[in-house]
Amino acid sequence: MLSLLNILASFTAPEEIKMNPQSLLWALPLAASIAVIYKAIKVPKITAKHFIKDTGLLFISIVAFLIAASIVLIIVAQLATT
Amino acid sequence: MLNIIDKFSGKAQLILLPLVTAAGWIVPGAGFWIINEKKRAAIVFVTILITFLIGIYAGSIGVIDAHSDTPGLLGTTNPWFLAQILNSPLILFISNATAAGSYPVYGKPAEIGQLYTSISGLLNLLCILNCAYLAHVKCAEKEDNQ
Repeated sequence: MLSLLNILASFTAPEEIKMNPQSLLWALPLAASIAVIYKAIKVPKITAKHFIKDTGLLFISIVAFLIAASIVLIIVAQLATT
Repeated sequence: MLNIIDKFSGKAQLILLPLVTAAGWIVPGAGFWIINEKKRAAIVFVTILITFLIGIYAGSIGVIDAHSDTPGLLGTTNPWFLAQILNSPLILFISNATAAGSYPVYGKPAEIGQLYTSISGLLNLLCILNCAYLAHVKCAEKEDNQ
């Protein structure tokens, strides 16, 4: 009972999230959710093997695009500030 | 097990589509369950729920706030709330609990919490629309076969 209350209490106080490079990792679970939902509504028939493969590929694509976009933004910022 | 699509043909489809849409809003994935797409229903339910819970874990229930302090295009309605309410009407209960400002949240946790809870709502909207479309297609296929 006490552990359940502890779990519920954790939803009433925000976590401490600092503004550091590691905070960018918060994008990964969100990218995973988007990949899972998108594939869940797109594939005609859901089979575990194909679903996991398709979702994994989409997740990797999203993360790769995020990395590419951040590299471009870093280059633009470097050019603009030097 | 009798397929629910068999019960709704012709004009009765006008009842099925709102039913599926409402069910998908009240409980994420329930619309898929009604039209016998149980795997999709389970995946959608678990994913939307986990995404929403991560959001309120990171930012606390304080991120569910219907009112904005600074009036904008939507008046004093918080624009994030429009996306969050798409998760489920149960969000209104959380909104009522946080209305007094008892759960203040600022900075990065607020940003992460709002993003997760809003995107889970928008993903649920995508699922609701897809579910209504699937229900319509199944009804049309059934009518063509008759």
